[in-house]
Order: sequence, then structure tokens, then C-alpha cells
Amino acid sequence: MDNNFLVIENISKSFGDNKVLDNINLNISKSEFFGLLGSSGSGKTTLLRILGGFEKPDTGRVILDGMDITNLEPFNRPLNYMFQSYALFPHLNVFNNLAFGIKENFTQKEIEINVRNIAELLSIEHLLNRRIKQLSGGEQQRVALGRCLIKKPKLLLLDEPLAALDKKLRSKTQLELTTLQKKLKITFVFVTHDQEEAMSLSDRMAIMKNGLILECSSPEEIYENPKSLYTANFIGIANIIEIYKKDENFYSDDLAINFKLNKELKNTKTNILLRPEKIKIQSINNLKTSSFNSFSGEILEKSYLGSFTRYEIKIKNMIISVLHQNFNSHSNYNFPKGEKVICSWESESIKVLED
Amino acid sequence: MKNKLFEKYFVFSPYFWLVLFFFIPLAIIFKISISVSEWGMPPYQNIFLFDNGFKINTTFENYVYIFSDFYYIGSFVNSLILALISTFFCLLIGFPLAFYIATSNIRLRNILLVLVVIPFWSSFLLRVYAWKIILQNNGILNVILLNLGITSEPLQLLYNQYAVIMGIVYTYLPLMILPLYGYLNKFDLNLIEASKDLGLNRFKTFFKVILPLSAPGIVAGSLLVFIPVVGEFIIPEMLGGSDRLYYGKILWEEFFVNRNWPGASALAFSGIIILVLPIVIFQILYSRFSQKNEI
Repeated sequence: MDNNFLVIENISKSFGDNKVLDNINLNISKSEFFGLLGSSGSGKTTLLRILGGFEKPDTGRVILDGMDITNLEPFNRPLNYMFQSYALFPHLNVFNNLAFGIKENFTQKEIEINVRNIAELLSIEHLLNRRIKQLSGGEQQRVALGRCLIKKPKLLLLDEPLAALDKKLRSKTQLELTTLQKKLKITFVFVTHDQEEAMSLSDRMAIMKNGLILECSSPEEIYENPKSLYTANFIGIANIIEIYKKDENFYSDDLAINFKLNKELKNTKTNILLRPEKIKIQSINNLKTSSFNSFSGEILEKSYLGSFTRYEIKIKNMIISVLHQNFNSHSNYNFPKGEKVICSWESESIKVLED
Repeated sequence: MKNKLFEKYFVFSPYFWLVLFFFIPLAIIFKISISVSEWGMPPYQNIFLFDNGFKINTTFENYVYIFSDFYYIGSFVNSLILALISTFFCLLIGFPLAFYIATSNIRLRNILLVLVVIPFWSSFLLRVYAWKIILQNNGILNVILLNLGITSEPLQLLYNQYAVIMGIVYTYLPLMILPLYGYLNKFDLNLIEASKDLGLNRFKTFFKVILPLSAPGIVAGSLLVFIPVVGEFIIPEMLGGSDRLYYGKILWEEFFVNRNWPGASALAFSGIIILVLPIVIFQILYSRFSQKNEI
């Protein structure tokens, strides 16, 4: 795959003394759905605005499809930007909002056809004569999307595309957005603070913090094999345990148990990640505690989530989160609060965090 | 119960104000304008006579008189042109200023707003008089121009219509900036970026997005400048020459020099009707239009 469709090269940006972006490098492929994930102040929106042309970087270049667009004005860039607030024109109806960007270069008839096509694609044909104020949030989102897509951009930038929608509509729109993107094969780059949204939408995603990209990979890779402590904590629920080498195995003081790893460690002391769904939970009557990769503890809290139950299990100085899938409706798998249980996991599930 | 009653009638208080200070004085002016002139105090006859039974004593001669003399109509037209030009320049200077104020950060914005309002803290007369001192033949401006060698003799800057326009634009500019600022303040700056993103340059963005969305502010500011400038008396009197007569001055002379109260009232009443009627009609049409389109 051509990895050089969008090249972000040594981009830095400061607002006064505040360094918002610190030497950002990214390569994004054609037709990729790319997510920029970070908490507020991580610089993700500034990076997106630099791509859109609304901010000029202090250093570095942006190259889109072989063309250096760093110094182009927004109106000369072959890309479009979908604003978090949607920024629909309140003085125009839906038809004229959709037609806004193509009025210049098209005849009246071509405009009609293009608007109808895009409205059909997004199933908003029945809204064309409405005013923006008369639309629901989801409808406004479609109009904002249509207004960009009608220009057939090489690149679509989306600022928190689903943030303004309610939860139920969000998951529906998530699915529609990925389907649409795969159908149109337009490169999408979006910004979000919501890790779930980033994981469900992105082909690849970059985790940003304090103007730096910490990791850039597929959602699976980032969830399963995070490199840094920050990423591990940021994505999903994480049990972070500090271990050190003791004889043959590794030992945790907090848990007072041994760990067996299937690989060698560079350092004698390190943090490991144990995802809560990787931990098996069993009744203490069934089994004895093994000498490693297992512990017995007491259930401190439980929250029933339908398909899963989340347990908080106390062992020595630590509380470990465990997600237990509710395979069947028998009560066998449901442990009451205060019960002693045995937790165990496989050596492969232990991920060593590099920093 | 008492509070509810108070709330119910409280909403009518603007109308009460309007009736007391606008419609009643207007009715009095109208009454005088249809009275018959007389040498006396007051210089007009009563419109209801009870000498030999009840008799209504009115005349429309005052209206016929002012509309048949080009002296009056011409001065009114002069004032309309003056108001149009002044409003145009106020808008030309006021719009970018209001836009800049509305889009700057909160600290700078408050400082700039105070600067806009500060002239109101000194007397209107003094401010116009200050311009007289600046523009006169041995005034500051001429001294500077002479010393810089730009002119060899003092320029006649005062007592012409340019001085009048300048004085009016200077005085009325805040009345344009403040309502414009009120509208532009609510303006979503993302709309400008969205327009540029969709391929419109700055110029086109201004005409397709900024201008249509700030139209109510432009109308409000323009009316606030235009209407009082038509009747403006002091600025043309102090800065203007004798080459051009304006409505305000004619009105003043008709009242205080000629002591023709009915004639002056007819002039004032006609002026108000000619100015206010189109605006009222426009407002009704505009509110219907915007209700229909839910702007």
C-alpha cells in the first residue's frame, strides 16, 4: 500500500510559550481511516487544523498526494474539514448548504444532480428544503458530511465527528461512517477524545499526548501490545503491576505472587499490563492456587454490565479489575460480593510495558 | 396575585413609554400643524372654537405651503443625501472595527469597547467645537500641513459639506459600531472557516456568509445613524457653510425666527411620516419574511 498519500513531516507549532505540537511525523495511506486520539490539550485538534489550513505550522511540511500544501490557503486545498459544531450556514436551507462549495464551478443543472446524489447517499433527500434550525443533531451531522463529500475531496478531516450525538445514535452513525468511507475510498483523518470511537472507526490510530505522538498502530495492536504506561491506561481498563526479577521468576510485592513470563526482560524491574478480560476467575473450591500466574483474592465490588460482569478483586495491597463474560444464565458464573475466588491467566497475556 | 398583575402589565411598560414620549408629542405637533397661524402667543388659533356655537377651525394650508415651495423640499432632500452619505461612511468604517472588536480576545475587546463609548462622556457640543478648532485656517491640521510643506497656504477645511460629513461620521460612529458589535459578537467564526474550506476566498466569504448573517446588525446600526442625521441641526450649523441648507436648520428657523409654528409643525410631521413610514413597512415585511423562513 502506498504509505505516502499524506505525509506529515517535522510539524511543530507553538502558541506563545506553549508548545502544542513537537516535531510530528506521520504517514497516512490512501483510503485509510485514520484516528488521532488524545485528551484535551494533546495537540490533536491543532494538528487537524494545520492539515485544514486554518493554522500555519512553525516548522515542517504537509504533503498530500505528492503536492506540498503547507502554505496553501484553505480554499485552495483539495481537502475538506468537518467541524465539531458542524458550522452549517443558518441563513441557507439544506439544499444550499450542500451546494455551497460547488456553486462556483457548476451549472445549475449539475448542481441539482450532485446535490440529489449526495442527499440520496446520506438518505437526506426529504430534508433538502428545510432550514438548518429545523434539523436534529443527526441530520445536521449528515448535512455537514454531505457538504464536504459533494466536493469529492482527496482527504476528509473530521473534528470529533460523533461528539455532538447521543449515545444510541453514535453507535449507529459509527457503523454508517465506516461503511461510507470504505465505499467512497476517501482518506479520512479524524480527531477524538473517545477511545471507543477511535477504536471502532480507525484502521490505524495515533495516540497523542502533550504535542507528541506516543504510538501509532492498529487499534488491536495498541490495545493488546501498548508500548507505554500512558497508552495502556488510556485505552481500555488496565491492571498495571510492578514486578522485579527474583530467582527464576518475577515477583510482585503488591500482590505477593510470582509471575512467569515467556520472554526475557531487559530491566530487572518493570511494569506489566494485564487486561481484565484475560483473567480467568474461578471458585476457590474447585482449584488450588498455582505457584505462579494466579492468586486468590476477595471480591470487593461487582457491577453487572449485561454481557459482562466487572469484578474488583482485592489481593494484598492491590485491587485488580476482572471482566468476566456471562456465558450462560446460570448463577454458577456469578460470584457474590465478599466471596474468595481464584484468578489465573496465561503467560502470553502478560504484556511488558517498555516505559 | 398582586405580583402576577404587576408582571402582566410590566410587559406593556415600553408601550407606555412610547405613548407618553412619542405618540402624545406627535399628536400635539399634528394638532399645531393643522391650526391657523396667528400673531400672538401661542402663534396659532385653537382648532375648536366655541364662540358662536361649536366650530372646528382647521386648515391644511401649512402642508400645501411647504410642499409647494422647493425651499423646504430641497432642504429635506439635501438632508436625506447627507444622511445617506454619512451612514455609508459610518458603515464602511464601523463594520471592520466592529468585526475586529467582536473577534478579538476578551481583554482587548473590553478595552476597545470602552474606547468606543468614551466620547459619550464629554459634551456633544464640545466635541463638535473641538473639530472646529482643529480644522480652522490657523488650526492644528493646517499648521501641521504648512510646516510639513504639503501646502503653501492654509486650506479651507471648514464651512463646507465635507467638514459636515466628517463631523457627523465622527459623532455617530459609536451608534453604528455598538449594534453591529452586538450581532457580530454572536457570530460563529467556524462559519468563516467552513466557507473558506469549501473553496470561497476571503472576498466571496464576506459577501456570501459574513454580510448576509450580519444584515440585521447592519440595518439596526444604519437606522440609528440615518434617522437622527436627517434632523441633525448642530453639526451643519457649526461646521457647514451657507452653500447648502439642511432640514434641521430650516425647521429651527421656521420655529424660532419666523415664529411660524403651524408651518414648522407641518414640516416636522411630514418629515417624521416620510422617514418612519417606510421603516415601519420594512420592519413588518422583514419580520414576516424571517418568520416564514425561520431565520
